Amino acid sequence: MIKRLRDIIKRVSQHLRLNTRLINYYWQRTRRNKLAVSGLAFIIFLVALAIIGPFFTLDPTEANFEEKNIPPIGFVTEQSIYSIETDEFTTKEVPGTWKHPLGTDSKGRDMMAMIVSGARVSLQVGLIATGIAIILGTIIGVLSAYLGGWVDNALMRFTDIMMTFPFFLLLVLIIFIFGPSLAFIVLAIGLTGWTGTARLIRSESLSLRTREFVVAAKALGASDNRVIFRHLIPNVISLIIVIATLSIPGVILAEAALSFIGLGDPTVSSWGIILEAGQHSLNTAWWVAVEPGIMLFLTVLAFNFLGDGLRDAFDPKSNI
Amino acid sequence: MDNEILKVKNLKTYFFTRHGIVKAVDGVDFDLRHGECLCLVGESGCGKTVTALSILRLFDSPPGKIVDGQISYDGLNLTTCSSEQLRQIRGKDIAIVFQEAQSALNPVLTIGDQIIEQIKLHLPVDYARARDRAKTLLGEMGIPSAESVMSYYPHQLSGGMKQRVLIAMGLSCDPQILIADEPTTAVDVTIKAQILDIFLELKTSRQMSIIFITHDLAVVAEIGDRAVVMYGGKDVETAPVSEIIGNPKHPYTSGLIECLPDISKSTGKLASIPGTTPNPIKIPPGCAFHPRCPKAMEICSQQEPPETTISKEHKVNCHLYT
Repeated sequence: MIKRLRDIIKRVSQHLRLNTRLINYYWQRTRRNKLAVSGLAFIIFLVALAIIGPFFTLDPTEANFEEKNIPPIGFVTEQSIYSIETDEFTTKEVPGTWKHPLGTDSKGRDMMAMIVSGARVSLQVGLIATGIAIILGTIIGVLSAYLGGWVDNALMRFTDIMMTFPFFLLLVLIIFIFGPSLAFIVLAIGLTGWTGTARLIRSESLSLRTREFVVAAKALGASDNRVIFRHLIPNVISLIIVIATLSIPGVILAEAALSFIGLGDPTVSSWGIILEAGQHSLNTAWWVAVEPGIMLFLTVLAFNFLGDGLRDAFDPKSNI
Repeated sequence: MDNEILKVKNLKTYFFTRHGIVKAVDGVDFDLRHGECLCLVGESGCGKTVTALSILRLFDSPPGKIVDGQISYDGLNLTTCSSEQLRQIRGKDIAIVFQEAQSALNPVLTIGDQIIEQIKLHLPVDYARARDRAKTLLGEMGIPSAESVMSYYPHQLSGGMKQRVLIAMGLSCDPQILIADEPTTAVDVTIKAQILDIFLELKTSRQMSIIFITHDLAVVAEIGDRAVVMYGGKDVETAPVSEIIGNPKHPYTSGLIECLPDISKSTGKLASIPGTTPNPIKIPPGCAFHPRCPKAMEICSQQEPPETTISKEHKVNCHLYT
């Protein structure tokens, strides 16, 4: 067992050492695309924010009605305050404070803390759901292409059926039935989002399957399992990376959209949930809706730029 | 005879396509003896490669199917044994080396990984020993600095190097039989000579039994012990190589030999056999070669020629000798 583990570690480290050349090559190609690099930079920033951010911010769940609806730094709003003694509304100018750089919401919670913990949630949703969808799609696509015949037919017709379902309606239905917990939302997005991946992987594997090295592997005694996992899947990895990068923003948006129509998990503060809460107070505190909106916008844009850049870098036919 | 290691009897592999039944191999008989190099010779499309693939059942099925015949190896009929049994034989007992070295190697795995994987598949050795063995094999194939080649990807090697890697892979588990499908076709002349040397070396030092598929009679003359000439999915002449070259009986064989350019004569035009290989969907009745045969008789288009024995080792299927 230990020997086996050592084998694997040895191989992986050897691969990493050898592959620095290749990784370097792709990095050189990606680097020429300024948008992709800025996308990558933003994603790295976001990941860092999600991982270490919560240790430095205030508690995102702590409500404080004394400090509600404080605007972000540099903005001033007018708040009407009702006084019981005089039975009158008085208006008061409230400036942004450094204690709450991004302001507070209608319950006095710190927006900065909420945005940061929202980043964590949104990234989790994006990565896990995409992971599920990609794994499912890859397995279904490769099996379909490799086995062919009736298996291919059955799997692809099933994919067709999945594709004809209105994706969002299906999500709403699943969440309506099982309840709005984040785990179910992630699972539901993952289990419905694999169809496009399956199609792409299948078409790529179809052409790989007839390549001579697959026949050669079989000629040397490789089992079907081995052919699929050692020869087919490694050859579609670059495609998988691109699909994954490009589908993460879709997933994040899907979660936000679900939250926005009130089907999000109310126990976590994802960007969608904050946005949904903010829309009711657009008149008094516009920043509560705008801030998570901007973050969503930037995140989606960053992933899309990076995905496009990677696609160009991995495509040997493109001259960049 | 006792030292026959592989026997192919009346092998028929058909492909059932939309356009009709392609009789790629239609009744081939030959046997491979221990330690010899048997050449399968013939033009493109005569069924050489499909014969080789049939031995290990490597063609796509469907549409391909072995409809008749026997391939006996080690008391086992390879046409009917289970696919699991066959998988055990592939690579370990019978290995195959393909023609296109470029496409027969996986582009995303290093050379070392591909050979090591192959060794570990059949032999109970750990990674380190498999790696040593792979390195030794590459060295034996005449690859300089095998250690660094192990970490290369296929695209970093030249065609000849890749062909050697493929042969090394084929040899990695010490197979009894090595099937080489035109291993010299895609490489240039000097590499071709080196590769042939490797095969000669294998034959003499390892006593390996080799089935060598080629369309090049010069290659046959160099490394073959016996040759099977194929035409239209059938074997038309089987004889020791010296007989095939020096005393061909079948008009097709003599035609092939006349096609070889002779440096001592300076007749302007090169000889060729008129016509092309038959469409495997519509193989002519009788002897498949009769439309192109200079010595065709009436019976040739009506009746399939039976196997005729010229001498103990020399058999031919032609009406001229019945």
